[in-house]
Amino acid sequence: MVEMKESNSERQPKNGRFASIHSPYATANIRILGILVILVVIFSIIAPGFISFISLQSILVSTALFLLLALGETLVIISGGIDLSIGSMLALSGMVSGVMMSHYYHTGSGVGIAVLGLGIALATGLLGGILNGIVIANLRLNPLIVTLGTMGIFEGVAELISNGLPVSNFPPSLFSLGNGGFGLPWLLWFTIAAVLFYGLLLAKTRFGRYIYAYGASKDAVVRAGVNTKRHTTWLYGLAGLAAGLAGYLSTAHFETASPVAGSQYLLIAVAAAVIGGTTLQGGEGTIWGTVIGALIISVLENGFVIVGMASFWQLVAVGVMVIVAVYFNEIQRRSRLAAVGRRQRQ
Amino acid sequence: MDSGEVFRMESVTKSYGGIRALDNISVTFGEGLTAIIGDNGAGKSTFMKILSGVTIPDHGTFLLHGHPIHITSPVEARKLGIESLYQDLALADTLNVYANMFLGRELVKRIVGLPFLDERHMAQLASETLDQVRINIPSVHTMVRNLSGGQRQAVALARAIHFKASVLLLDEPTAALGPKETDSFNRIIMNLVDEGKTVIMVTHNIPQMMEMASRVVVMRAGTIVAEMSPKDTTQEEIMAFMVGSYKTVKSPQNFQKGGD
Ligand SMILES: Nc1ncnc2c1ncn2[C@@H]1O[C@H](COP(=O)(O)OP(=O)(O)O)[C@@H](O)[C@H]1O
Ligand SMILES: [Mg+2]
Repeated sequence: MVEMKESNSERQPKNGRFASIHSPYATANIRILGILVILVVIFSIIAPGFISFISLQSILVSTALFLLLALGETLVIISGGIDLSIGSMLALSGMVSGVMMSHYYHTGSGVGIAVLGLGIALATGLLGGILNGIVIANLRLNPLIVTLGTMGIFEGVAELISNGLPVSNFPPSLFSLGNGGFGLPWLLWFTIAAVLFYGLLLAKTRFGRYIYAYGASKDAVVRAGVNTKRHTTWLYGLAGLAAGLAGYLSTAHFETASPVAGSQYLLIAVAAAVIGGTTLQGGEGTIWGTVIGALIISVLENGFVIVGMASFWQLVAVGVMVIVAVYFNEIQRRSRLAAVGRRQRQ
Repeated sequence: MDSGEVFRMESVTKSYGGIRALDNISVTFGEGLTAIIGDNGAGKSTFMKILSGVTIPDHGTFLLHGHPIHITSPVEARKLGIESLYQDLALADTLNVYANMFLGRELVKRIVGLPFLDERHMAQLASETLDQVRINIPSVHTMVRNLSGGQRQAVALARAIHFKASVLLLDEPTAALGPKETDSFNRIIMNLVDEGKTVIMVTHNIPQMMEMASRVVVMRAGTIVAEMSPKDTTQEEIMAFMVGSYKTVKSPQNFQKGGD
């Protein structure tokens, strides 16, 4: 209630407004972290080799590519949108940069060309994402439909520039980047940097705050004076940028650029976000949740393989987890509405 | 309580397709509470949206303290000290209290040259404002969706107070509130009026406005059909102006075009 407080308001201790943990996602994130830990414990009991350094590292590496997609997807879903094109964007960026690198590379280690390839992949991803954003923001079209369209367009263009064939003949420095490391595999360093970048952007900046606000109430953001067209454009641009990085790293890791690379990643990227607590109605979610969600998916995949179960069980398990996550979210939403309704009537 | 002109608009017109939502309106507001009363579709919300910069009129000029101003966007309006509360409680549900209060005007601190949100500072200032106006909200870290309608409206009000609005626009602010919450809300409004703010409130509660308002403006079909002090009128007369059974225009200062 909006009550006038009594002059000596003991009912409300002053420090009540400064509880120690403020994030509304703390408990949810601890809960899914618990699920991850339990899964790891179960698999290491069933298969003692599971917990080895090599095994953990291979889990992390197999997480990296779709986690990159999931980072951008998390931002987009929190804003109340969706981006179906990031899988094809991975393929397109990998392909554009792959074609350039294989065209210009002749001899030597080709460090310069590998760096140029990174720039081209990032630029391709960013531009493609910005294109999504411009169409969604300016024509005010449903992101689901727009990115369904560009999903086809990006893959089509990737096929066109490669005649539908995979591209290779890359500088050796690209391979060392894709499979070598410095303490950790390079792939993980890139992914960690991206996680930090997207995590800080979402949680600690105005841009991130408007992502949440836009997902919760478009009107509130418009009335707050935020340039929503520019914000939406950059938002989808950033989703594309992450896909561009994933495309480059995919090319480096698999030592080939394929026009159909990444097509299997879209669904698990969305699944990682949803399992991690991002809700499809928008306004809620965290990058940390998505990271844990992605790790859960990878642990299931690798765990099932180590235990000797057919890997399609992983698909089943991920599917079940997505539905359970959505179900829990819905239960919470209903009980919250009921609670607010009760208080309103008092 | 009227003490001179604070805010004046002249010849304001707004059409939506064939509908004249506002038809050549001129009106002056002084300090104190002005109630805007009118039937559904009279153009009250359109009027308020124009004042708050959400809607751009087809024609019209505005003067704040005698100076011409251009309200081209909500940001512009707020820079001029004009703050709004909306009929539909436009808050971001999944953000907490202070994030909503500072939405669009976040405080940042520089860390290695980059602007990061200054959460602690915002939380502290929000908390102080809530204390100052004696609005009871459990924590500024509470997500707004866990608040009642009255608390949510109080958050929007606290935002206006924190940013030192001199003109407050309220479009049916208590429409979604229970009687107790409405009372508390109105008390806060009256405190603001006592502090010398200009408050413009759209409402259907005529009896309440007879007590609270220093002036009543009655709108019908996109025009102002009456402006008067509650002392000089009755609820029946206001009703009659609302539904159009009075054909004349009652206005102490201005002469408007009459009803249809
Ligand atoms: N965005 C809009 N588009 C088209 N017509 C509108 C719009 N906003 C208001 N109107 C029309 O303008 C008239 C006045 O509406 P409004 O200002 O909302 O009235 P009130 O708030 O007094 O009920 C109504 O006929 C309404 O249908
Ligand atoms: Mg209205």
